[in-house]
Amino acid sequence: MDLTNKKILVCDDSVLARKQLMDAVKEIGDNATFIEGKNGKESVALYEEHKPDLVFMDIVMPEMDGTEALKAIREKDPDAVIIIVSSVGTQDQLKKAIQLGAKDFIQKPFENNQIREIIELRLGGN
Amino acid sequence: MYTQFLGNYLLQRGIITQEQLFAAMSRLSKTRLKLGTIAITEGLMTANEVDECLFVQTREDKRFGEIAVERGYLTEEQVSSLINKQTPDFILLGQTLVEDGAFTNEDLERIIFDYKNESELYDISLDIENQDAIASIIENYFKVTETKPHKLNIMYLELMFNSLIRFVGEDFTPLTPMVLDEYPITFGVSQSLKTKYEHITHIDTDRETAIAFASRYANEEFTEFNEYVIAALEDFLNLLNGLFVVNCSNQYSKSVELAPPVVTEEGILKGENLCIDFPIIYSFGIVHILFSY
Repeated sequence: MDLTNKKILVCDDSVLARKQLMDAVKEIGDNATFIEGKNGKESVALYEEHKPDLVFMDIVMPEMDGTEALKAIREKDPDAVIIIVSSVGTQDQLKKAIQLGAKDFIQKPFENNQIREIIELRLGGN
Repeated sequence: MYTQFLGNYLLQRGIITQEQLFAAMSRLSKTRLKLGTIAITEGLMTANEVDECLFVQTREDKRFGEIAVERGYLTEEQVSSLINKQTPDFILLGQTLVEDGAFTNEDLERIIFDYKNESELYDISLDIENQDAIASIIENYFKVTETKPHKLNIMYLELMFNSLIRFVGEDFTPLTPMVLDEYPITFGVSQSLKTKYEHITHIDTDRETAIAFASRYANEEFTEFNEYVIAALEDFLNLLNGLFVVNCSNQYSKSVELAPPVVTEEGILKGENLCIDFPIIYSFGIVHILFSY
């Protein structure tokens, strides 16, 4: 799959989790541009700066958590495509994320196939 | 399931040394369970009868089951039922230790009998679905702390052992837990869980062990202690605590707040109420998982 000109923002405080996510995307398609955010606050700023096509967002992060960052980004851009990737997958968290406009919720540890489905659905087609 | 606890049982009673356990554990994945060992644990043959058949096997080119049938110790039906029997992994550990000369088949017969009695494992075909047996093993393991484990403690420990098995490897043995006034941190990561009180969970280990632990967790070959190694420890703790938060919510409608994990390179860990160290011994080193609250 060709991901040229596709920008993906990966927000996670863990450098390893970011790497694993980017590796999973690279297995699916080539030439995507990655932007990395280490906390919610940074991710909101990076979103505004780069206007990525897709965002992978962790929930438990320092400074500002993923739920707040999701809210902040969606307020500024109601079309933002944000996927939550978190180890804390309670029903409440899931409900809250969907209410705030998350497009999907992936429980960690993720399978590469789950990332594939997201990429094909959200970035495939054109 | 829970080979790990037979190792702990043997160490606690001084039946084997840590080195013998290490050696046996590192060979486990390459070892196959023998019919004689299953026959002993099922109570169909005595250790002496098994040893006799094994001796005959060194002189005659026959299968163990064939010899046992010839000598009237087993019927053919019993042999085929034993071959298809699902047996718990801890029996394989016992067999490996017999092969290493740590003890004899006769000792193993007695050890398995005592272990099953003390752990209340009446059904030998213990599997992961047998929640009562697992809870009982964990309760026994926790007993040495002389504190009554809360149902959430049992749940946490069960998740911890399952996460270690699933994400790092099953070749570990939990050493005896220790209740401490304080724990001097060498290097590790901590994460706070808040319910009504704050609980600190912490993984502490030396750098070499951290590299090996991280390599297994991330499924990568790390050769030096770097940010990825630290992140792997954080991710493991975060994953374990995340599972705990989900279970608390699903089973008890209890809300638990999870803070981001933090690196702690020095200092003292102590809880206002309790600080417990759960040392886990892997073939590559010892990992301390601590709770304090």
